Amino acid sequence: MVSTVVLDLVERLGAVSVGTMVEVPLHPGEADTVAAWCARSGNELVSATEDRAVVRRGRPAMAAFADNLSPKQRPGARLWLYTNFDCNLACDYCCARSSPKAPRRAIGVDRMRRLVAEAADAGVREVFLTGGEPFLLPDLDVVVRSCVDRLPTTLLTNGMLFRGTRLDMLRRMPRDGFTLQISLDSATAELHDRHRGSGTWQRAVGGIGIARAEGFRVRVAATVAPHEADTDAQAAFHQKLDGMGIPREDQVVRPVAQRGFATDGLALTVDTLLPEVTVTADGVYWHPVGADHDDQLVTRDLFPLRTAIEEVQRRLTEYRRTVAVGAQRFPCA
Amino acid sequence: MTTRPLIVGAVAYTPNVVPIWEGIRDYFTDGPAQMDFVLYSNYGRQVEALLDGHIDIAWNTNLAWVRTVLRTDGACRALAMRDTDLTFSTVFVTRPGSGLRDITDLKGRRLALGSRDSAQAAILPVHFLREAGLGESDVDLLRIDSDLGKHGDTGRSELDAIRAVLDDKADVAALGVTTWEAIGRDQLMPGALEQFWQSPTYCHCNFTALDTVPAEHTDPWVEHLLAMDWNNPDHRHILELEGLRQWKRPHLAGYASLFEAVKQQEIAAQW
Ligand code: SF4
Repeated sequence: MVSTVVLDLVERLGAVSVGTMVEVPLHPGEADTVAAWCARSGNELVSATEDRAVVRRGRPAMAAFADNLSPKQRPGARLWLYTNFDCNLACDYCCARSSPKAPRRAIGVDRMRRLVAEAADAGVREVFLTGGEPFLLPDLDVVVRSCVDRLPTTLLTNGMLFRGTRLDMLRRMPRDGFTLQISLDSATAELHDRHRGSGTWQRAVGGIGIARAEGFRVRVAATVAPHEADTDAQAAFHQKLDGMGIPREDQVVRPVAQRGFATDGLALTVDTLLPEVTVTADGVYWHPVGADHDDQLVTRDLFPLRTAIEEVQRRLTEYRRTVAVGAQRFPCA
Repeated sequence: MTTRPLIVGAVAYTPNVVPIWEGIRDYFTDGPAQMDFVLYSNYGRQVEALLDGHIDIAWNTNLAWVRTVLRTDGACRALAMRDTDLTFSTVFVTRPGSGLRDITDLKGRRLALGSRDSAQAAILPVHFLREAGLGESDVDLLRIDSDLGKHGDTGRSELDAIRAVLDDKADVAALGVTTWEAIGRDQLMPGALEQFWQSPTYCHCNFTALDTVPAEHTDPWVEHLLAMDWNNPDHRHILELEGLRQWKRPHLAGYASLFEAVKQQEIAAQW
């Protein structure tokens, strides 16, 4: 008997809208035909058992989704590494719950070197080092060098510790393929100091000046709570940075994430957050804002890193699919 | 010049028509000519609405175009079509081993046709038979009218025609080339079907306006339509759903065979 499952698929899917799932009965041996038809016609095979297949009309969610991402946004293109968790500050919105009392939990030079090598092999194009405050580490220059040797690297810092041996350490860091991202929340001290501590704005501004004078590329990033965002303040912020010689593409304003110590801010969950693979001393996480939160833990195994990156990509596809299934099963009206 | 949006009519032959037309309308929102759309359940109703001035432009099948031309004595114009409308064709498929090699071999055989208002699966196949010297009495015609009113857009009657061949109720099925493609040609149902004849190409759908709608009103709309770009992800989404890569200016010679077929088969201009 001739298999007519293809006719059933064309007829059933032709009558439904994109995103709708259709179930067709299968005879033995037809599962491969369904898979081949889906691949050829640009529809998604959701599942196939011995006697039935479920097909969703339209291209697979991840394929359609990934098409619209720039290469830089693709999950796995950027790797975040939490050098350590302790910090000289205790900002009230810190998503990593860092403070002078937080245990160090450092990845260490050896693991860092291996992570970056594996990352480069797995297709990572850019590394971001963050903490805690990385400049609390005595061997940060070696850590930075081991990253920059393989991939373009950005180091996030509060910019307040560029003195004595730490200034010497800064001076030993490479200028090429390396960017310092220093936190500064506002054009004047008031807002910045309210969240980060008295006198911190002045020292951060000083740190930006030192880093620039030492010949580093400096990006300045503000973290602003939604209820404190204000266009006049933002314009003043950009004006201040223009005056300090920071080009506009290196002036970044981000919202506070509702994570860690923050009680106010954007709610971010794995379902709504595009992943950026993040490694800490404790495991691999979905995104840097959730690096101290078990709901964003992907695996406790740092190695092989490729496996963790692939797991993040697989979970993203899965989440997108569940969201679509949920939308289909629980229409609101 | 009027700033009223152009109203475009389309037939709702699948639920996807809604996202397609919402996408097209949104594309026009910031452009030089705004538009809105109205959906009809069949082409008869849509052509009446065009003639009555309820809509400015109709997204017409080839049969709806021919009927509009005949009803207006030619006082209408085609504005644009899909690239895929320029090279439409009909294929004849049969079971392997049937011994059929050419259209003339159909003499005395059974041909399953799609809905009688489908140009690709009924009207033109009969026309091509005539051109090959076969009258309606020379071939045993099995008409499957499973999507009347939609001019074959759903493709359902063509799938039923294939089933008729597989069930040995017919020797041959007449299909639009898009349906043949949709089932994976002869590749996904190995040993089930083979194509033994393909017609010359002809044109399928177009956007039709009456001459009472001034060109200065439709020209900016057409220009903006032609500017939709496959490489722009927002446009591409709509183009993919509607089954084209690029909008084209119409090629009227591609309707000659259907005009002739409608005349010869005495298909009513009004219905
Ligand atoms: S936000 Fe940055 S500077 Fe502030 S406590 Fe957290 S890690 Fe330290």
